[in-house]
Amino acid sequence: MTKEQVTGAAEEEQQAQSKKALKKQQKEAEKAAKKAEKQAKLAAEQQTADEDDFAKDRYGVSAMVQSQEKVDRTLVRVQELTPHRGGQLVWVRARIHTSRAKGKQCFLVLRQQQFNVQALVAVGDRASKQMVKFAANITKESIVDVEAVVQTVEQKIESCSQQDVELHIERIFVISQAEPRLPLQLEDAVRPETEGEEEGRATVNQDTKLDNRVIDLRTTTSQAIFRLQSGVCQLFRDTLINKGFVEIQTPKIISAASEGGANVFTVSYFKTSAYLAQSPQLYKQMCICADFDKVFCVGPVFRAEDSNTHRHLTEFVGLDIEMAFNYHYHEVIDSITDTMVQIFKGLRDHFQTEIQTVGKQYPSEPFKFLEPTLRLEYREAVAMLRAAGVEMGDEEDLSTPNEKLLGRLVKEKYDTDFYVLDKYPLAVRPFYTMPDPNNPKYSNSYDMFMRGEEILSGAQRVHDAQLLTERALHHGIDLEKIKAYIDSFRYGAPPHAGGGIGLERVTMLYLGLHNVRQTSMFPRDPKRLTP
Amino acid sequence: MALKELSSLEKCLGLKKPNKYSTQGERKVPVLQNNNGPALVGLVTIASHLVHEAKRTELLGNSAEQRAVVQQWLEYRITRLDNCSKEEVKVILKELNQYLEDKVYLAGNSFTLADTLMYYGIHHIIMNLAVQEKEKFLNVTRWFDHIQHYPGVRHHLAPVVVLRNRVYPSGQH
Repeated sequence: MTKEQVTGAAEEEQQAQSKKALKKQQKEAEKAAKKAEKQAKLAAEQQTADEDDFAKDRYGVSAMVQSQEKVDRTLVRVQELTPHRGGQLVWVRARIHTSRAKGKQCFLVLRQQQFNVQALVAVGDRASKQMVKFAANITKESIVDVEAVVQTVEQKIESCSQQDVELHIERIFVISQAEPRLPLQLEDAVRPETEGEEEGRATVNQDTKLDNRVIDLRTTTSQAIFRLQSGVCQLFRDTLINKGFVEIQTPKIISAASEGGANVFTVSYFKTSAYLAQSPQLYKQMCICADFDKVFCVGPVFRAEDSNTHRHLTEFVGLDIEMAFNYHYHEVIDSITDTMVQIFKGLRDHFQTEIQTVGKQYPSEPFKFLEPTLRLEYREAVAMLRAAGVEMGDEEDLSTPNEKLLGRLVKEKYDTDFYVLDKYPLAVRPFYTMPDPNNPKYSNSYDMFMRGEEILSGAQRVHDAQLLTERALHHGIDLEKIKAYIDSFRYGAPPHAGGGIGLERVTMLYLGLHNVRQTSMFPRDPKRLTP
Repeated sequence: MALKELSSLEKCLGLKKPNKYSTQGERKVPVLQNNNGPALVGLVTIASHLVHEAKRTELLGNSAEQRAVVQQWLEYRITRLDNCSKEEVKVILKELNQYLEDKVYLAGNSFTLADTLMYYGIHHIIMNLAVQEKEKFLNVTRWFDHIQHYPGVRHHLAPVVVLRNRVYPSGQH
């Protein structure tokens, strides 16, 4: 390049630089102008904030409740906010479910467990502009104490559980503030799948819900599910106590695998190792041999099954029953089915609110059952399946799809979601199952089904030490490992039978849900160990 | 397979003398060597010929429109249904289900060769459907059950069980 060209280039560079510098200056000027504007705005707001706030002592963030004083105040439950309290001034403690500010008003939805109610802060003689602004800025999920007048409304508020009233807030204080960014939105967590798809709104997937279980459990659906589950447990206990059963507690750290070596968790036990109980089977039976006659136990069951299905957990709550009978194991089946029917009736009669709440997010057909409970023999079931085009052997176990199809066929024919299948083939049952006296290919064992899925496996147990030894040998089991078990039958043992159900599975199937993790508070499966 | 179909068809049409067929090519396309004239190649061609031979031309359609529809379904059988892939099966079942919503037979209001050959062709698919799927494609199942019970049609094929009542509520599909 020539000198002129070089200088020319240099000049251009200079010009370009000065252009750049100009642009930079302009940008900075704009920034400064914006900043000044913002500051002026803030100052103006600050002014209005300091302006006459006549409601200053009717709102704010309360000091942390460290039990400073005993306040003599009754807090009314949201569930009780009905028209009969119209006009009353009440105190309520609830969470902020949603808040929406509109000019001089702020609409809040306050939530308490399964119930929510609309609340309103409006600029007036009780509330100032600053108070409305404060209410609008309270973060979702914060716990607040409000004093409000219960106002009846003419048009039902469809989106709340308390549809006939609204709270007109006079005082509002924050008791515990929630951080602004929630890991999941409760409205999304409660939205039905179909609504999410149709209207393109967000729903929360199961893994996210389980990772943030504390927040997910606050939803109205979760509250309802676990209240109902508590009801199942309570009805189970009450019904059996009334039948003269005794509740027992069995050890969960045991020396030998009770159901089979494959699916058992091993724990280190001082200098040796032990196992986590796969079922209370052995101990239930030993209690019968110890003359407790009728026993039940509620406790954890541990199955190290690497099954990632909708109905398997590695830890679940087992509700187990064992009963000595007089002459025929059907006495026990009748007792168990009657217990189940009492549970179903109790849920139907006393937990309708919960059933309806769950049904809003997970609609399903109401659970149907017959009295007395339907009992089919295995052979009949095989015939029904064959009539529907399924090919299977007489002594073949039912696969899961066949179980489900059978459930549908039984529902169609008998109109029941709950039934018993009796006299299973001996070959597919555990070694301690009593064989059928009339046909060596079958056994005195039974399964019970809800909505086509198995919930209970039970049988008459072998109570004779010699026969038990034979059956164990036949199944290739090491007699040394079960010596204590066999010994318990050597000193007089009554004929007995029983069975066990899974609490989570029963709740899931009663409500017509599709994944057992929804009915387990902090579920455990091969891929999940926390929370 | 095609040969079995043709011999069943012969029985169905009441033809006394069974013909001798051979096959050609990888796909075993059936061939009928006639004494007078060139060989007939192809399932549909031979089947139509048999219908004429048995003097049952109504099976190919009574009106011009019905005849056209019969030909359409015979085409469908050879081009779409035979040797279709797994994904196509669902598409075919859906199409058929929609088509059969307001029809008893595939073409017009009478039983035709289209029904027979489509029945032969779709049998292996329907046989392997689960009860829930059979209910999902309710119209196909209804038509299939009707044809498999039609006198004289089902010879070499196993009967497929069709339940009288719905076992799955209609919302569950």
